[in-house]
Amino acid sequence: MRIIRLKNIVQWLSFAILMYGGRVGIHLGSALPCFACPFVPGCGGFCYLMGLQGYIGFGLFAGLAAGKEILVALGWFVVFVALVALLGKVWCGWICPFGLIQDWLSWLRNLVGIRERHLTPTVKKGLGSIKYLCLGMIVVLPPLITAKILPPDLYLPFCSICPGKLILPLFAGETKYLAINLDNEVTLWVSVALVMATGSSMVGAFFKDRLFCLFCPLLALIHFLRPLTALRLVKEPSFCVGCGACRRNCQMDVAKIDQDIAQVQTIECVDCLRCAEACPSSGALSLKFFGLTIYSSSRWDTKGLSL
Amino acid sequence: MNNTENRRDRLLKKTIEKVLAEEKELLSWLKSRSDYQAELDYFLDITAARGTAEIEARVGRPVLNLLCNQVPLELIAAAGYQPVKVASGSLAEASFAAYSWPALMCPVIKGVLTKLEIDKAALKAPWVIPTTCDWVVKFWEARKMVDPSPGEVKFLELPHFRQETESQSKWLSEVIKLKEWLETVSRQKIARKDLLEAESALARVFVAVTQLKKARQEGRLSLIWFLLVIGSLFYDLPDQWAQKVTELINKLPQTATTGPKVFLAGSPIFYPNYKLPILIEEAHLRVVADDLCSSERIFPPVGPLEDTSIHGLLASMAGRYHQGSLCPTFGDNERRVNNILGQRNEAGLVGVIFVVLKGCHPYDLESSTIEMTLKNQGLRFLRLETDYALEDRQNLLTRLEAFRHSLSGD
Ligand code: SF4
Ligand code: SF4
Ligand code: SF4
Repeated sequence: MRIIRLKNIVQWLSFAILMYGGRVGIHLGSALPCFACPFVPGCGGFCYLMGLQGYIGFGLFAGLAAGKEILVALGWFVVFVALVALLGKVWCGWICPFGLIQDWLSWLRNLVGIRERHLTPTVKKGLGSIKYLCLGMIVVLPPLITAKILPPDLYLPFCSICPGKLILPLFAGETKYLAINLDNEVTLWVSVALVMATGSSMVGAFFKDRLFCLFCPLLALIHFLRPLTALRLVKEPSFCVGCGACRRNCQMDVAKIDQDIAQVQTIECVDCLRCAEACPSSGALSLKFFGLTIYSSSRWDTKGLSL
Repeated sequence: MNNTENRRDRLLKKTIEKVLAEEKELLSWLKSRSDYQAELDYFLDITAARGTAEIEARVGRPVLNLLCNQVPLELIAAAGYQPVKVASGSLAEASFAAYSWPALMCPVIKGVLTKLEIDKAALKAPWVIPTTCDWVVKFWEARKMVDPSPGEVKFLELPHFRQETESQSKWLSEVIKLKEWLETVSRQKIARKDLLEAESALARVFVAVTQLKKARQEGRLSLIWFLLVIGSLFYDLPDQWAQKVTELINKLPQTATTGPKVFLAGSPIFYPNYKLPILIEEAHLRVVADDLCSSERIFPPVGPLEDTSIHGLLASMAGRYHQGSLCPTFGDNERRVNNILGQRNEAGLVGVIFVVLKGCHPYDLESSTIEMTLKNQGLRFLRLETDYALEDRQNLLTRLEAFRHSLSGD
């Protein structure tokens, strides 16, 4: 079977579990390294970013007094690290429901025959730095809210503007996050920001594969933990002829992937394996788990061709 | 003047006879081989009938001639043409050209210039020429001496650094311009549907080529038949050809030939000049893979299509035929050698035979750099310099046999 077909099946299954699992008693915890959105009624697990903001804000402060909260926060952190260590960026390429929604947009764009737009390295770098802003927001704002320096309406600041919060609940019939919250000035601006962030992410992802992933703070967090990850994309440069098929097929436009170097996995890579499937040189690109090859590019593999 | 012309005409007539005799001799030898089988007749027949008019009658679409491996075949096909890579391995054709052209010129181009005198219809067909080596660049100027009437021609200016972003975008604009030119000469728009169909047809051909490569690597198909079958690709409709290849593969014996496994690299080998493949076989060496642009590299590997918009398809084509081309005329082609190293374990290679056609300067130069790299990696290397003439057969065979001994240690 085509590796990309297998990935699609896993994506759909993950989507079903993470979006509707709660309805049949499945809940995979609160430290998932993907956009399994807690605002989806009946979802099957929670994105770690929500917990992280909560723990940094309330857990940290309250925990200083009540020790137990700190242990819970640390516990979920360990689970998060373990999940990342196990699957690495496969969470992004294969599991994240928001990733799948972006892939649907690319599929739609292809269906109508509109070309994909590619970002120049400078624009890409500039946009990519947004994820650090988001990470900064996740770390800095919650304590300020707890300390009442910022208004409580900014509670869970990243979630308030995360496109996942608006889009994902729609698949469970929940439309309330579409509305502008007119409770007060802060809620008004926050909901306007949410609509704008979502609109631009969705339009952007239509024209450029996985555009939102460039901004995603989770991708950055997963990448920071890369030294621990067991599952990773590996390149054997001595087998690479520099044909560029990998780069042309990469949905994140990872520029390094066709270069004559071993360390090709940059922060944007989502382990989608499109590069490895497209590579015509046996063994040049592989997915390894604890050093064991799970999938490898092959000159004999013609399964990915549009026949 | 008249005398000279008459002499030339007489010589050309004689050359035509010689070409026919050359081919006849090869064909009867091929048919007498122990590994000949009826399914190969199809490829022998279409190779024998490869004149422009014959091809057009067979495929039902006009021929567009091209040189080298950088012309996107699927784009030509999408415009309604039959892409035909023009080449010549004929000793008679190359010898006739010596009458007008420099002795130390690439024999392939020399042969093509004579071929055009024989196959006048080829002159009238449109041509696409990428600016690869000097001989190819100067080809059109020389061709005008054969027939001064200007035919339709499109030059593709090939940026000679395939890894540079700027070169890649320049090449993409060349491919876009090629599409526009094709639309003008064919007087029809190339729609997305046409491109997608042509891509799929080429993908099916690629699957067939992959089957052929596998069969050769397994020792079920000899280099000679491999070269003949793959070279006939241009003389047939893609699906028909792919279908016939599958039929052939299904009938191939399961038993493998033996002999030290070698990789064949260097200048191209074109029908009917099978001197070297025959000698390699006589020396009991087994070619399991190659990177000749007349063989495995006849077109770059086809991959998945991710962006199927017109622009996306053109960009993917441009990338494949430029960055994906291992042509020695590129200035940053060092990684070409990885194609050999990468197959070393997989195919069980013990040595590399590198062919340099006299007059083929880019391969000549690359032979030295590749030799150094491969020897450093512990692979045995044999460089053979030759032309289409048969006088050096014994000398070449002796060297090949010595190479075989060095590989098998006997
Ligand atoms: S980078 Fe993309 S796929 Fe990964 S978690 Fe973020 S949104 Fe999901
Ligand atoms: S480098 Fe490969 S695995 Fe990473 S995003 Fe690009 S195509 Fe996917
Ligand atoms: S597709 Fe494979 S051979 Fe081509 S540049 Fe990428 S890694 Fe190298």
